[in-house]
Amino acid sequence: MSVIDTPAQGSSTPERPRAFIRPDGKEKVTGLGRYTADLTFTGQLHAAFRYADHPHARIVSIDTSRAKALPGVFAVVTHEDVPDVRYGGMTQDRRLFAKEKVLWEGDVVAGVAARTVEIARQAAALVEVEYEVLPAQPDYVANMAPDAPVLHEGWAEYGADENLVRDGNVMSRYVIAKGDADAAMAGADVVVKSHYVSDASQGVPIEPRALVAQWTGDSVTVWSSTQVPFAARSGVAHTLQIPESKVRIVVPLLGGGFGSKCDFHFEAHVAILAKVTRRPVRLVFTRKEEFVAPDHRREGMDIELETGVTRDGRIVARRGRMVLDKGAYTGEGGFFAQMAAMHACGPYKLDTVRVEAFLNYSTNQPAASIRAPTAPQACWALEQHLDEVAAAIGMDPVELRRRTLVAEGDEGPAGQVFEKIGAKETLEAALELIGYDAYLRGELPDDEAVGVACGWWPCFGVPSGAYVKLNGDGTATIVTGAQENGSGSVMGLPILAAEILGMSPSDFSINYQDTDAGPWDMGSSGSQTTFNNGRAVVEAAQEVRAKLLAMGAEKLEADVADLELADGTVRVKGAPETSVTIADLAGTGEPILGKGSGEVPEAAASDASACVGSLGMESFLAPQLITHAARVKVDRDTGVVRVLDFAAAHDSGVIVNKVGADGQVYGGVMMGIGQALTEATWTDEEGRQKNPGLLDYKLQTASDGPRIQIRWIEIETPNAGPKGSKGVGEPPSVPTSGAVGNAIAKVIGRHVDQLPMTAERVWLAANSPAGEDQ
Amino acid sequence: MAVDITLSVNGVPYPLTVDPHASLLHTVRGDVGLTGSKEGCDDSECGACMMLVDGRPVNACSYLAVQADGSDVTTVEGLSDGETLAPLQEAFLTRGGVQCGFCTPGMLVSATALLDRTPNPSEDEIRTAVSGNLCRCTGYDGIVKAIAAVAAERAAQG
Ligand code: FES
Ligand code: FES
Repeated sequence: MSVIDTPAQGSSTPERPRAFIRPDGKEKVTGLGRYTADLTFTGQLHAAFRYADHPHARIVSIDTSRAKALPGVFAVVTHEDVPDVRYGGMTQDRRLFAKEKVLWEGDVVAGVAARTVEIARQAAALVEVEYEVLPAQPDYVANMAPDAPVLHEGWAEYGADENLVRDGNVMSRYVIAKGDADAAMAGADVVVKSHYVSDASQGVPIEPRALVAQWTGDSVTVWSSTQVPFAARSGVAHTLQIPESKVRIVVPLLGGGFGSKCDFHFEAHVAILAKVTRRPVRLVFTRKEEFVAPDHRREGMDIELETGVTRDGRIVARRGRMVLDKGAYTGEGGFFAQMAAMHACGPYKLDTVRVEAFLNYSTNQPAASIRAPTAPQACWALEQHLDEVAAAIGMDPVELRRRTLVAEGDEGPAGQVFEKIGAKETLEAALELIGYDAYLRGELPDDEAVGVACGWWPCFGVPSGAYVKLNGDGTATIVTGAQENGSGSVMGLPILAAEILGMSPSDFSINYQDTDAGPWDMGSSGSQTTFNNGRAVVEAAQEVRAKLLAMGAEKLEADVADLELADGTVRVKGAPETSVTIADLAGTGEPILGKGSGEVPEAAASDASACVGSLGMESFLAPQLITHAARVKVDRDTGVVRVLDFAAAHDSGVIVNKVGADGQVYGGVMMGIGQALTEATWTDEEGRQKNPGLLDYKLQTASDGPRIQIRWIEIETPNAGPKGSKGVGEPPSVPTSGAVGNAIAKVIGRHVDQLPMTAERVWLAANSPAGEDQ
Repeated sequence: MAVDITLSVNGVPYPLTVDPHASLLHTVRGDVGLTGSKEGCDDSECGACMMLVDGRPVNACSYLAVQADGSDVTTVEGLSDGETLAPLQEAFLTRGGVQCGFCTPGMLVSATALLDRTPNPSEDEIRTAVSGNLCRCTGYDGIVKAIAAVAAERAAQG
């Protein structure tokens, strides 16, 4: 195990530049790179949508004649113009254009293509929709009551994953269980119960999404700002009922996603408009649309937790009941109940467990993956709850974690036995970085405190593919299905290939983000690119290496075993002058290519026999462990919280690209602080968004930023990604709000039980009499 | 209705006929054809569209093209010749100031304006200068370090 530190920002001596420059860097800093909204096509039309006029209503009729009659309008399409199919990840519950009902304010009723954006929007407003208005049902907890009207009347007939346990408005019910938690709870020395509620929040990439579709014959190309081009391709193929070979998705530079651009979204809407008009059609979202229209936000969550402990800090029982807001449709978030339940357990030793989680439909914007879906909210609740437990037995909260965090050989909540992991090491590292001892000695002013939180996140082992081919001059090209969202994970792939081939990373170009080029890949989701596509690139490079060695052996009349690849040559070990350059070998015209996918690592065995609705996530593959520690200052008069200092200690296995990994932590922590303090989608009583703009949905700015120190606990992780690496992108947002929440509670003497912990909520908690709920 | 104006963008004069309501951003991205400046909100909230107008940073989405008639406009494309990077561009790349890159053009323009006016800024001054530029990827760390590094290099060179 090794430890690498990243000095805090704000040090007066700027760091020395690092060697590796991302291959897409130059086009990004010169402004010459093209993002989707930068593309224009001769003859292009502009698209606009007519969204639902009510969050919940039956559609009686749609009349597009007035819209079509507007000069400059080329097409108006509705459900009648597309095949009558439903789509969705684990449950197929949605259509491209609403047919019988609208189920949230962002449901698309009609699409328009027109000469200008203005005309398109005007025409969209002219579509006449007659509704039978139904009561909105934004209360996702109330929606599971037996007498609550069922939102998807035909739910039982929907195509769905057979492992989902569904019932009316409950899209998925999951129970994780180990031992007899009820009996163990009854026998505990101390039992603590807590209730926490998190509002929904958003991914907010700075690039609003954009798409352009163009047909040539029977084939369509869609340029899309998606994180998952292959999922977008299957979405178009499925909803328009055409073969995948006729659909090509190309992603120009992608201006961030944070999960919000995962899943198939609007590619087919734009494709059908382009087909009908026989023109390229372009759609660029306004910032408001970027908030309201994607079926993608971080889910609201209602969390009840109960923990039974012995006085010396052994957790004998954990019970929990979680209700998650799925919103109107499933999208790709069908697994959230199970994921949330895992985060209500956390990376702790638990003698017995019973956590039940419900993922419920509502008439709200659908929830789907946003950076570590379900984890930040569940972790925020659990970590504050643990501080409450520690207080109840008179133990320092850090000491409780020392005694209960898992280590090698310990068991997870469903019997997974952990291999080497650095949970405890991250705890000690974060404490050291933040100066926890000084805090314990009372060296901080009384309006400041340090809060600590731990968390975890799995790696997702999935198939992935890549090719490596040599060019005649000795350079190489990686052709990959992987998608770059900005994190640099695709940009870092040459580092892996270069090492195997004795070349320099700058010798490689990368062909990516084009479904007609690279093999299938899950896309930039689940922090999986280095983990899975890295493995594919390694295997592809190994194949090229084997070919080069064989060719070199022939050329140099040497044995393969005596050869090495270094400095762009194949040479004899110990006699580097006996060598042939890769350029010489590759320049003959004989193709030198490798392809790879690699063997997908599998999670450790676990026992799901007592679980209900299992989707196989009781065991976390190559879990990433995190401890965050935050020093905050609370203004008791106003409730305003400022994070002054932040320590992030992560076990993400071996770090392949340190600049990239650090960047994920800096960005993830800032996103986490935003979620902790200011970021929420506020809604009216019918679930309509009240703050779909950057003025009222407040992101952290450069002026808000605390000092952030990072430490990597590097463990060569068995059964993981290349070199023993794990994912990096999602964990940095997981325990952030928990650490901030615990720090706030230490200053004001009670836990804020709603997320985000806005100034108003902090003030109310600080000023409500003890023992009273806010 | 349309108005004749002349914009000098990155030193090149463009005689243009524009709608009086057209924003400087749409005019530069559309009529001039320089798409380096980005639109993140069209409402003065994100800074992705930042340009210099006669050396002063403005949110070009909320600035009328006609207001810039006769002015010198600098966009990200004008910060270097595209071959040799300006020190700020180089520093953003070497210090992790760029991830998705969508905020980068605006950030670079804000940073350029800052260093023109305050050659030796404190960290607080740097953070304030770019606080109108939202970045969701980097947590601002690499950006602040990059700007500080360029300022320090310049100070060292006198
Ligand atoms: S696009 Fe101008 S400030 Fe956001
Ligand atoms: S680099 Fe993505 S928003 Fe700044």
